[in-house]
Amino acid sequence: MQFEKQVEIIAPREKVWKFIWDIDRFIACVPGCKDAKTVEDGKRYSAVMVEKVGPFKVEFPTTIEVLERDELSHIKAQASGADNKIGSRMKIDLDVNLREQDNKTVVSFVAGVDILGKLAALGHGIIKRKADQVLDEFAQAVKTTLEGDK
Amino acid sequence: MSKPMTRHADAQTISVSFTLNGRLQEIEVEPNELLLDVVRDRLGLTGAKRSCDVQVCGACTLLVDGRPVSACTTLAFEVRGRSVMTIEGLADDGKLHPLQEAFIEHGGFQCGFCTPGMLLASKALLDENPNPSEAELKHFMHGNLCRCTGYKKIIESIMAAAKKMRAR
Amino acid sequence: MLKRFRLEEPESAAEVSELLGRFGDSAKIYAGGTELLLAMKEGLVHYERLINVKKLKGLSEIAGENGTIKIGALCTHHQLETSPVLQQTLPSLVKLEQNVANVRVRQAGSIGGNLCFAEPHADPGTLLMALGATMVAEKSSGPREIAAADFFVDAYETSLKADELLTAIRVPAPGANSRSAYLKFGYLERPSVGVAMALTLDGPVVNEVKIAVGCAGPAPRRVAEAEALLNAKSKDEAVRLLPQAGAIAGRASEAISDLHGAQDYKEHIVGVLLKRAFNSIVS
Repeated sequence: MQFEKQVEIIAPREKVWKFIWDIDRFIACVPGCKDAKTVEDGKRYSAVMVEKVGPFKVEFPTTIEVLERDELSHIKAQASGADNKIGSRMKIDLDVNLREQDNKTVVSFVAGVDILGKLAALGHGIIKRKADQVLDEFAQAVKTTLEGDK
Repeated sequence: MSKPMTRHADAQTISVSFTLNGRLQEIEVEPNELLLDVVRDRLGLTGAKRSCDVQVCGACTLLVDGRPVSACTTLAFEVRGRSVMTIEGLADDGKLHPLQEAFIEHGGFQCGFCTPGMLLASKALLDENPNPSEAELKHFMHGNLCRCTGYKKIIESIMAAAKKMRAR
Repeated sequence: MLKRFRLEEPESAAEVSELLGRFGDSAKIYAGGTELLLAMKEGLVHYERLINVKKLKGLSEIAGENGTIKIGALCTHHQLETSPVLQQTLPSLVKLEQNVANVRVRQAGSIGGNLCFAEPHADPGTLLMALGATMVAEKSSGPREIAAADFFVDAYETSLKADELLTAIRVPAPGANSRSAYLKFGYLERPSVGVAMALTLDGPVVNEVKIAVGCAGPAPRRVAEAEALLNAKSKDEAVRLLPQAGAIAGRASEAISDLHGAQDYKEHIVGVLLKRAFNSIVS
């Protein structure tokens, strides 16, 4: 599943970039994500993703690897996790771009999301919708947090 | 005949007293036991088959109080106080039921895997509606799948049996 | 094989509510089990306790009283399809129930369980919405009524509170000139698209039009915009507006592209079924 999102944040690019690497605050913007930890600064992080669709709940201990990093402009990362209780795996390939436009920072990202295993039984459509919701909420949370920061 | 399972000391068990093919049975089951497993593994009646395991194919059909259920998705304790019929109970003391005779005479089975379910479901149909139209028959039997016959001979068998049973 | 669980067998709605409140997410209501046991067998959910509600009295009746048809939540699909009361007052619901899944699911599955599991590809919710039904939910503090239009929140999610039990569905008895129809389309056991329509025929005019679409999206939805378009129109005018209403209803269905069909395909089928439902009612 591929998702393309874009969010305009009224904040300077440096501030947005800095925020991304402030792992606790950044991860807090992902709905259902908790316990963010730095394993190797700038390279590897871990977190736990908890998502729910009705009575179906998943808990993915997730590893996030930073694959590419172009200061102030581009990040490529991969997140992967497995919920052994429910026999499912999750992989997200993330490509994030920052650019300045007028006095705003435009953050655009492409997310490739793969859900494998039993959870797929819920149906591609339902999962896609959920992933879309999570990504939308995430983008909004980043914007709200940064714009609220003084 | 019913083999007791190895149980946790504090496992919850439910006493299930029920009629099986006309005979009274008394067993203890844990809440999570499925009717299909109890019938096949504990009671040794392997006519009912586990096939799709999601109650769409009908190979596990049993009759509970005369009505068809998917044994693969029925908890065993649910038959307490009820009467259960498996395919092994369809023949009357060795004498074949008209449906069984009709399936033989009209070629209503090939590999036979779906056949126990087909027979029990069609028995429930004819008990409820002794003179079904073909449309009514197809509607009732819609949930019993066959991969071999293409259904034509099954329909013919059931209709033939219905005719014989009405004549009695 | 199912993982072990403890079976609770309460005898009152208050007890059920108390158990749900006490055990929270680790307990689940169990009636026919036709959806729940499948999810448990798949390993998608696990509960430490199942609360068997089938010992509760008074939840398995269907009766017409004071202009309302009351359907107990524990009524099986088989009970609904063979109910003399429903055959007389809500033939469209009878036809729907006759075609739920297969004979074995209809024997075991309850209407309450079907509605509460809120599986996206279910039928009854869509028609009950178009019939203006209300759901009766009970918990320790007492009962409340939820309009069907507000009952289905999302896929597998209803507006029931965690400690509430659905006890009945109340449907206003249709008047002499009221008609309803439910049409569905699908090649799998779970339909891909379902459209329900109810209206009153006052001579040449159609009134009180209610339209609901389901199965295509995450939950059934009423389509107020399409209803307003057709309402209070003459039959002929309504027929001319059907394509427009169909397009509106298609978009309102929140159709999701999946194995059951692409989004635009499902939206198109919504329009087709809406047209057919209308024509079957007014002819």
